[in-house]
Amino acid sequence: MRAAGRVAVFFLGLGGRSKRTKAFFVLSLVPLLLAVLIRLRPVLSPSPRGFSSVFYYSNVVLPVYVQFLVLMIALFYGTAIVMEEVEGRTLSYLLARPLPRPSLILGKFAASAALGLLMMNVGLLASFLVLRFERAGDPAEWLTVLRDMAVLDLSLLCYLALFTFLGTFVKRAVFFGLLFCFGWENVVAYFPGLTQKLAIAHYVKSLIPQPPGQAFSFLQLRLEPSPPLLSVLVLAGLTAVFLAAALVVFSRKEYVSAD
Amino acid sequence: MTPVLQTFKLSKWYGNILGLSEVSLEVRPGVTGLLGPNGAGKSTLMKLLTGQLKPSLGRVRVSGQSVWNNPGLFRKIGYCPEHDSFYEDTTGRQFLWGLMRLHGFTAAESARRTEAALALVDLVEDKDRLIRGYSRGMRQRLKVAQALGHDPDILILDEPLSGLDPLGKRKIIGLIKNFRAGNKTVLVSSHVLPEVEALTRDIVLIHQGKILAAGDIHGIRDLIDAHPHVVALKCDRPRDLAARLVREPYVLKVQVGAEGLLTLETGNRDVFFGRLPSLIVELDLEVEEISSPDDNLQAVFDYLVGR
Repeated sequence: MRAAGRVAVFFLGLGGRSKRTKAFFVLSLVPLLLAVLIRLRPVLSPSPRGFSSVFYYSNVVLPVYVQFLVLMIALFYGTAIVMEEVEGRTLSYLLARPLPRPSLILGKFAASAALGLLMMNVGLLASFLVLRFERAGDPAEWLTVLRDMAVLDLSLLCYLALFTFLGTFVKRAVFFGLLFCFGWENVVAYFPGLTQKLAIAHYVKSLIPQPPGQAFSFLQLRLEPSPPLLSVLVLAGLTAVFLAAALVVFSRKEYVSAD
Repeated sequence: MTPVLQTFKLSKWYGNILGLSEVSLEVRPGVTGLLGPNGAGKSTLMKLLTGQLKPSLGRVRVSGQSVWNNPGLFRKIGYCPEHDSFYEDTTGRQFLWGLMRLHGFTAAESARRTEAALALVDLVEDKDRLIRGYSRGMRQRLKVAQALGHDPDILILDEPLSGLDPLGKRKIIGLIKNFRAGNKTVLVSSHVLPEVEALTRDIVLIHQGKILAAGDIHGIRDLIDAHPHVVALKCDRPRDLAARLVREPYVLKVQVGAEGLLTLETGNRDVFFGRLPSLIVELDLEVEEISSPDDNLQAVFDYLVGR
C-alpha cells in the first residue's frame, strides 16, 4: 500500500499539470455555468411563469453530472491509467522501479479518483450554492447536497474501476467505453423489468430521489428503482470487482508498444 | 566471475514475428556492448532482461533471479529505454525527483539524488525547464540520468548515445566507464561500431534475433575490417580526389556523383582514414562532409551471416 501511495502522489502531481485535467476541470464547471444562467434568467428574460431552483437543480444540474460528466471523467481517466503509459511509452520507467505491478494500478486509480472527485464535488457544491443559496442555512439542504455528492462519488469510483479494467486489455478502450456510456448505459437503464438492473446507471439513479415530474420527467420514465442499500452494495461491489480484475490483468499481461 | 545477466535459449515472438531466437548469453561485471543493426533484437533482449516483456520460451536471470514480476530486483537495476518518451509536462527535475520517490527514497534523499544525477549528465542549468522543450541530446541525457539516479549495480542502456552530439557522447561514454568501477555491470546496445568500441572490448553481435558472435572486440573487428567499407565524401573537386584515390591499393571502387559527392569502397578502413587527411592537404581540397552510410553495419552483418 505504501508503494501505491507513492505512485498516487507521483501521478497526482502529473495529473494536476496535464491538459486533460485542465480540460475536464473546465468541463466540470459547465453545470455551474448553467446554474448561473438559471439564476440570471429572471433578470435577463422576465417571464410570468418559471420553475423553482429546486427543480433546476434536480432536473438539469444533477442529470448533467449523472448522465454525462461522471461517465466522461471516468472514461477518459480510467482508460488512460494503463493505455496512456503504453501509448506514451512511459510504462518502462514505471516497470523499472521496485514497485509491485498492482501498486501502479492502485496508485494511478487513487490519483485519478482524487482528481475526478475534486472536479465533481467542487462543481456540484458551487452549482448548489448558486441555485439554492437562500436556503444555505437549512441543514436539510446540506444533507441533500452531501447525499448527491456521495452518490456521484460512488458512481465515479464504479465507472472509473470499470474503465480502468477495460484499459488494461482493450486497445481502443475509449471507443468501446463511449459505446458503453451512450449505448448500453443510456438504453438499458430505461428498459422495463429486470433488464434495467444490468446497467450501472440503474443503481446510481436508484439512489437519487425522483425529481418532480414535469418537463424532463421522460428521463426517469421507466426507472424502477432498486432499494438504496442494495444499490450502494452493488456499486461498491462492482468497484471492487472491476478494480481487482484490472490488478490481475495488469500483473499478468505484457504490454508491447507499437515500435 | 559469476554472470550477472543470464539468458537460456531465450526466444520471443510478437505474434508471427520472431523477435529473438534461442539466445543464450552470460554477461559478467564490466561493460558489455550489444551490437547489431536496427531491428536485430537488441531492444527485445533488453526488455526481456528488465522484465518489460515475458519470454515466449527460455529463461532470463538477473543476479540468479527471474526478472518478470520481481520488483525487488529493480533496486539494483537501472534501465535506459531506447524510445524518446517522457512525461512531457514535467521539468527534468520533477521527472527525476518523482522517479526517485517511486524508488522509495525520502523527499530529501530524492532531491539530493536528483541533483546529483542532473549534475552527472550536465542538465543542472536546464533542470527547471519543461521536458517538451528539451533538445534530443538533453532528453537522451535525462534518460541516462533516471537510470543512474538510484545508484544501481546493473545498468542496462538501450542506444544511450543515439542523438547525442560528439561532446554529449563523450560525456556519457565517460559516465559509463566510471560506472563500471566497483564491480558493476553495464550492458549497452548500439548499432554503431565505433560507439561500442569507445566503451568496451567485450561485445556481443546480434542479428535477426540471434547471437552471431560474442567476445573480444578485436577478433570481431578483424572480421568486420575484412568486409569492404563504404565512405561518402563531399568536396569541391571530387574528380581530382577520385583520380588520386584509384591509385591507392586499399581503395576498391570509386564513384563520382552529383554535387561534389564521391562514394568509395575500401578494403582497409583504418588505412584509408589514416591517409585521407594528407590527401586532402596534398590536393588542397575543401571537404564539406564525410560519412559512412548508416546501412554499413547491416551490410557487415549480412556479410558475416553469409560467410
